[in-house]
Amino acid sequence: MLISNTTAIHVRDLRKTYIVPEREGGLKAALRSLVQRKSREVRAVDGITFEVSRGEVVGFLGPNGAGKTTTLKMLSGLLYPTGGEVSVLGHTPSRRENDFLRQITLVMGQRNQLVWDIPAIDSFDLNRAIYRLPAADYRRMRDELIELLDLQELMRKPVRNLSLGERMKVEMAAAMLHRPQVLFLDEPTIGLDVTMQRRIRAFVAEYNRRSGATVLLTSHYMADVEALCRRVIVIHHGKLLYDGDLGGLVERFTAHKTIEVTLGSNAVDLSSYGEVVAQDGERATLRVLKAETSRITARLLADLPVTDLVVEDPPIDDVIEHVFTQEMIR
Amino acid sequence: MNYLRLAWLYLRVGVLNELQYRANFFVQLFQSLLALGTGLVVLGLVFGHTNELGGWSRAELLAVMGVHILMGGLIRTMIQPNMERLMGDVQRGTLDYALTKPADAQVLVSVREVRIWQSVDVLMGLLVLAAAVLQLQGRFGIWQALGFLAALALGGLMIYSLWLMVTTGAFWVVRMENILELFEGIYHAGRWPVGIYPDWLRTGLTFLVPVAFAVTVPAEAITGRLTAQTLIGAAALTAVMMTAARMVWKFGLRNYTGASA
Amino acid sequence: MSASLDFYLTQMKTAIVVQFQYRVANYFYMIGMIAEPVVYLVVWTTVARAQGGTVGGYTAEAFAAYYIVWTLVRNMNIVLTPYAWENRIRQGDLAAELIRPLHPFHFDLAYFAGWKFVAIVMWLPIAVALALIFKPALDPTAGEAAAFVVALWGGFFVRFGLLWALGLVTFFTTRVSAVFELYFTAELLLSGRLAPISLMPQWVQGLVNFLPFKWAFGFPIEVLIGQLTPAQIVTGLLAQAAWSLFGVGLVWLLWRPSLRRFAAVGG
Repeated sequence: MLISNTTAIHVRDLRKTYIVPEREGGLKAALRSLVQRKSREVRAVDGITFEVSRGEVVGFLGPNGAGKTTTLKMLSGLLYPTGGEVSVLGHTPSRRENDFLRQITLVMGQRNQLVWDIPAIDSFDLNRAIYRLPAADYRRMRDELIELLDLQELMRKPVRNLSLGERMKVEMAAAMLHRPQVLFLDEPTIGLDVTMQRRIRAFVAEYNRRSGATVLLTSHYMADVEALCRRVIVIHHGKLLYDGDLGGLVERFTAHKTIEVTLGSNAVDLSSYGEVVAQDGERATLRVLKAETSRITARLLADLPVTDLVVEDPPIDDVIEHVFTQEMIR
Repeated sequence: MNYLRLAWLYLRVGVLNELQYRANFFVQLFQSLLALGTGLVVLGLVFGHTNELGGWSRAELLAVMGVHILMGGLIRTMIQPNMERLMGDVQRGTLDYALTKPADAQVLVSVREVRIWQSVDVLMGLLVLAAAVLQLQGRFGIWQALGFLAALALGGLMIYSLWLMVTTGAFWVVRMENILELFEGIYHAGRWPVGIYPDWLRTGLTFLVPVAFAVTVPAEAITGRLTAQTLIGAAALTAVMMTAARMVWKFGLRNYTGASA
Repeated sequence: MSASLDFYLTQMKTAIVVQFQYRVANYFYMIGMIAEPVVYLVVWTTVARAQGGTVGGYTAEAFAAYYIVWTLVRNMNIVLTPYAWENRIRQGDLAAELIRPLHPFHFDLAYFAGWKFVAIVMWLPIAVALALIFKPALDPTAGEAAAFVVALWGGFFVRFGLLWALGLVTFFTTRVSAVFELYFTAELLLSGRLAPISLMPQWVQGLVNFLPFKWAFGFPIEVLIGQLTPAQIVTGLLAQAAWSLFGVGLVWLLWRPSLRRFAAVGG
C-alpha cells in the first residue's frame, strides 16, 4: 500500500455489512423464530474509496442511515470493516494502537465524554492523565483552548450545571487537549443555537489553521459544511455519490436555476413561465430548467413590468435533497 | 366509576401488552427457579444443624418460604410497578395525566400497572405451600384456607398502604429511589418467622414495616397456629394503615405541583 | 494498553470526589444492605441457641463478628456489574470508552478502587452501630489485621476481574441474564455469603476451595475473625493472586474477540 506521507486518510473499497435478524409479529412467528433464524444483510457501507490529505477539512453529507457515521467509526477504530482497506496516519484503525488513538479525536454532538459531576477543569486533568501529556505541554494547550473558546468562567463549574452550548464548548476543548492530528466530528453543532454553532465552527477552522490537523465532519447543517469544508463527500445508501468541492456539487446535481422576479404589479399568473415556487405580492420565485434560463428571463423582461430580477442557484439544501432522492449518479 | 371494573380493564391491557414479550416468561421462570433452589438449599443447610427453628419445624418453615415467595410475587406483580411508576411520574411532572382522568386518583395510580410475568412467583409460592401442607399432615381444612386467604389479603393491603405512604413522600423529597431498595432489604427479613427476631426488631418488622403480617401470619394460618386475636389485630391494623395511607395521599396531592417548575 | 500510575491516582481521586457527592445515595444503599446479614445472623444465632450455644464452631458472638465483617467485605465486593455492558452497548457509551488510548479495564478498575475508599470510610460508623447492638467477639492480632487489609483488596480485585470478564459475554449473546444469575446464585451459596463455610457439608467445603467465590468473600472474613492459621492465610492470599491472574487473563483473552463482535448501534 503506497501512501505518501501527505496522506492522512486512505480508504479503498471500504465495506461494512450487518446481519440483522428479522422477525414478524404474532405468536406463530415468535415460535418459528425459536427454531429458524431469519436474517437479512444490511450494507451500511458498500465499497467507498477516497483519500484525504493532511490539513484538509472534508464534509460528509448524507441522510440518516446513509453510512456517514459508520464510516467515521471505521476510521476511528470503533468498528471493524467487513472489507476493503483503511489507513489513517499510516495506522490501521481497527488495531487500536495507542500511538494511533493518541493522534485522533472523536467528538459526537450531544454526547458527553466528560465526567458529569465534577468541574470541567478536573475532567481536563483526567484527560491529561489518560493521554499521558507532559505537564507543561498540557498547561499550554489547555490555556490556549480556554482562550480560544472563551471558557474562563466555565472551568470551575460542574459539567452538569452548564448549558448545552457551554457543555459542547468544553467537550470540544477536552477533545483537543492532546493536540490530535485528525479530528472526527460527528454532528458537532446539533442542537445548538445559531451563535454557538458559529462559535464552534470558528474554533474548528482556527484549530485547523494553527495545527494543520485534518478534519472530517459530518453534519445536517449546510451552514457547517459551507463555512468549513472546501471539499464534500456525499454518501447515500452506503455508496459514495460525489467527492469534490461544494460548488461543483451544486453545478453537477442541479438541472435547475431559480429566478427571483419583482414586478410592478401583483398577483400575476406566472405559471406559464416556469414552476412557481413562491409568490408573495409583487415578488415571485420561479424554478426553471438551466437550459431555459436565458430564454425565460428574456420573455419575462419583455412581457411584464419587471422592476428586479435575480438568477440564482437553488439553495444547497434543495440540491442535496435532490441528490438523495435520485438513483445513484456516476 | 366501578373501581373493580377499572382494575380489571387495566389488568387486561397490561397482560395483553406483556404477553408479547414471551421471552420474559422464561427469564422470570429461570430466576424464580434459581431463587427457589437457593431457598431450599438454605432450609436444608439450617436443618442440617437443627430440628426446629424458634419452634417451627422444617415443614412449617417450608410453608413460610412458600408464603414469602407468593407474597413477593404479588408485590412485584401489582404493587411495586405502580409505586415505581408513581414515583417516576412525580419526579418528571407527568402525574397530571393521571389526575385529570375521571376516576379517583389513588385507585388509578394503584392499579394501572401490572407486571404479569412476576406472577410466576405466585404460582411457585402456591406450589411450595402445597408441598408444605402435604408434609405437615395436620388439619388443613376450610377454616385454615379461609384464614390464610384473609391473612394474605390483609397483609397485602398493609404492604400496599405502606408503599403508598412512602412513595407519596416523593411529593416532598423528589429523590426517593433508594427507599425502595431499603424495602427490598427489609422484605428479606420476612423469609423467616418473625418470632426469631429480638423483640425490638420484631416490633419494627410488625408495626413499622408490616412484613410479619404479610408473611408470618398467613403462614401461621397454614400451619394451624393462627389465633383469632392475631387475625383481628391484623384487620384492625389494616384498617388503620389504609386510612392513614388515604390521608397521606390526599395531603400529598394537595401539595403537589409539577416537578418541572 | 498500559496505564500510568498517574492515571490511576487521578481517576481514583475523581471517583472519590464524585462518590462523596452521592454520599446520601451511597448511605441508603449500605443501610439497605445490612438487612441481609442481620437476617442470617438472627437465624444462625437462633440455631446456635437451640444447639447449646454453638453451631459449626461458631458462638452467637462469633456469628456476630462474622456478619459484621461481612458488611465490609460485601461493600468491597461491589464491582462493575456484568449487566453494565448492555447499557454501554445500547446507549453508545462504548464509543467513549474505545476512543481512549487506555484499556477500559484500567478505567473501570481505577474508578471502583477510588470509590472503595469512600465506601470504607462511610462503613465505619455503621460498623460501630452494629457492634454496639450485636456485641461481636472480635480480637484479631496485628498480623491478622494486616493480612485482612491485603485479603480485603485481594477479594475486590478477584471479583472485579472475574465479573468484568463475565460481562463480556454480553457481546456474544443477548440472553445474558441466565448466565449472570447462575453465577450469582452459585456465588451466594458457595462464597460464605449465606453462611460461614464451615457450616456447609464437608464435600462443599472441599469444593469451594477450587472455586473463586470463597476467596473473594469468605476468606477475608475468616482472616480477620481469627479462624485461620498463618499457613492457611498465606495459602489463601496465594489463591487470591491465582484467581486474580485468572480473571485478568480471561479479560486479556476475550477483549479483542468481544470488540470484533461489537456492532455499533446507530447509523
